[in-house]
Amino acid sequence: MKAKLLLLAIVGLLTTALVPAAESAKPLIVGMELAYPPFEMTDTSGKPAGVSVDLATDLAKSLGRPVVIENTSFDGLIPALKTGKVDLVISSMTATPERAKSIDFSDPYLSTGLCLLLKKDSPAKSIADLDRAGVKVAVKKGTTGHLYATNKLKKATVLVLDKESAAVLEVSQGKADAFIYDQMSTYQNWQRNSATTRALLEPFQKEYWAVGIRQGNDELKRQVNAFLKDYRQKGGFEQLGDRYLKEMKDEFKRLGYSFFL
Amino acid sequence: MRLEFRAIGKAFGELQALRDVTLNVAEFQSLAIIGPSGGGKTTLLRIIAGLETPETGQLSIDGQRLDFSEASLLLHRRSIGTVFQAYNLFPHLTARQNVMLPLVKVHDVAVGEARAIVDSLFERFQLSAHADRHPAELSGGQQQRVAIVRAIAIKPRFLIFDEPTSALDPEMTAEVLDFIAELRADGRNLIIVTHNMGFAREVSDHCLFIADGRVLEEGRSSELFSRPQNPLLVNFLAKVLRY
Amino acid sequence: MNRDGQVSLAATIVSWGLVALLVCAVFSFAFSELRYGWNWNAIWQYRQKFVQGWLMTVAISAAALLVSLLLGLLTALARRSALLPLRYLSMLYVESVRGTPLLVQILILFYVVANAFGVDNRYLVGVLTLSLFAGAYLSEMIRSGIESIRDSQLESARAIGLTRAQTYRYVIFPQVVRQLVPPLTGQFASIIKDSSLLSIIAVSEFTLNAQEVNAFTYSTLESYLPLAAGYLLLTLPISLASRALERRFHYAT
Repeated sequence: MKAKLLLLAIVGLLTTALVPAAESAKPLIVGMELAYPPFEMTDTSGKPAGVSVDLATDLAKSLGRPVVIENTSFDGLIPALKTGKVDLVISSMTATPERAKSIDFSDPYLSTGLCLLLKKDSPAKSIADLDRAGVKVAVKKGTTGHLYATNKLKKATVLVLDKESAAVLEVSQGKADAFIYDQMSTYQNWQRNSATTRALLEPFQKEYWAVGIRQGNDELKRQVNAFLKDYRQKGGFEQLGDRYLKEMKDEFKRLGYSFFL
Repeated sequence: MRLEFRAIGKAFGELQALRDVTLNVAEFQSLAIIGPSGGGKTTLLRIIAGLETPETGQLSIDGQRLDFSEASLLLHRRSIGTVFQAYNLFPHLTARQNVMLPLVKVHDVAVGEARAIVDSLFERFQLSAHADRHPAELSGGQQQRVAIVRAIAIKPRFLIFDEPTSALDPEMTAEVLDFIAELRADGRNLIIVTHNMGFAREVSDHCLFIADGRVLEEGRSSELFSRPQNPLLVNFLAKVLRY
Repeated sequence: MNRDGQVSLAATIVSWGLVALLVCAVFSFAFSELRYGWNWNAIWQYRQKFVQGWLMTVAISAAALLVSLLLGLLTALARRSALLPLRYLSMLYVESVRGTPLLVQILILFYVVANAFGVDNRYLVGVLTLSLFAGAYLSEMIRSGIESIRDSQLESARAIGLTRAQTYRYVIFPQVVRQLVPPLTGQFASIIKDSSLLSIIAVSEFTLNAQEVNAFTYSTLESYLPLAAGYLLLTLPISLASRALERRFHYAT
């Protein structure tokens, strides 16, 4: 998989050498953490796949550049962007004011919110119920859930975990009372662990996802925003939703939640 | 002292080290045990030292039968002094600490008193300069002399030497042999296994020749060395004294 | 260096100076290529997290060192025991621990074993996991230390009338302890560094805290450089002490 992309990059570079218009053929390196189905994941042969991958590919195509997907852990994405290891971050990343201090964001392309995956016998009915001494709240390192828990939960213990799967395991084993994460994943995790967990799927904090761009790279930002506007108009997001999230789309409609893509 | 062996037998696996040794060694002060390598002399010595137990037979020392149970052997070992060919001392302790160890920990002598005993012995045998040195800093001869001091410090009933100079060069051999000769002059009881025939003859009043697991000849040293009877002994002495 | 291999003070200073110069040059070049906007302010705001994390690492490492010493000693003795089941048990323990990565052990011991026994305290399980890990290595060091004591010494001890227990106490252990000082301090330093893996089960030690600060401030280098420095602060004195102790206990056997 990586070899193919590398080949693509090399071909791209060779094209640069042969064609006078050098800039536009430079590969577009997009960073994402391939651990977040169905947005960022790998298919059975190990190739990057998912909503964000398709979005990145279509974006690069519109710019006439080959795309290279860099699999980076979530909390390493912004540093990678800052140091220039990646050109863009498309990783279901929420645009927050803190993050905006370090990087630029495109216009939002998706709205979601923070929800709770609770252990089966937890009596909590809202996030406020969890802010008590002795309550353990799991979060994934570097996410907005982590930020929320650290800033807003004064009495509960915050368990900072590296991986979403570890956090879900903690809740299902009862070691943690709740896991703060985005609406979609919370739904999926609840579905997969319905015997040991329950979910509060009404977001208690609304969030918007956007593409991350290095500060100062205004040209690229302009290009990305133009693309996103165009893409939505042409129904690109609709197609992505149908391709990857059909089931969830229907389920959310049934449960009465607005679909976000 | 007196030694009495009755039908002592000891085997190591297939090898029969001692066969049916029966002997009454009459009154002696210093006993030498000589013989070819692998003949059984070291095995016999170790049995007397309480470090091996025979399969068969009995041993009496000064008329008292030696009980071969571990408990009684422990007491026996504590009452005598044994000096091996090498590696007697513990490398992590100084010479003084090495000698004090059995005094304080085995014989319950008070530390102050033990120190006094050790220091006076060191002084007598010209080892005071080495008292605070570790064995690695001492020559082979000095190490052996410290080992001997350790053996006599506890006021043993008798002393056992297993080839005390075999690992030493000639110069150091002399200093150790002189030391042992001095002990004999002091009237101590000694049992020595040695290759050094000259020394054996000088220092012992009685001698045993052991070969092939049996005591082939025994008698007063003056007699045994000048007029050996057993053909194997004659052969042995001829070979050993050739150079 | 003169013929004895000893180095003059002047030579030492000049040589270290050259090394420092070289290292600084390499790092300056690397950082200048980075186009990085340094932001130390953000880190300073979170200094409390660094301190707390560092203290937790010290506490966990100290506890693990003590428990692992005990475990290592018991295992070494069990390995030499006449009771076969005991011997085999200790062999099984040592081989499985030495043959699997610490990370895997942490995950299995916390999410599977501790869970089965209903033990939820991740700090307790973390310290125990670290102790079990280090204990296996320590037991091998102790065992080889014991076995390195020549038989002739044991014979000598027997001849002067020491009991088995006295022999262990006055002959074997003093020497084993002296021998163990260098590898033992190495093991302590390892424990300190390995404790960073406990972050994986959300133990709030030094590394996790630094990672959290990074997550909040996006100041990666400013978070991780102090992190490295904090570990060095612990491991350097240990290695210096080890060398000093080694010199003190040095004698030929």
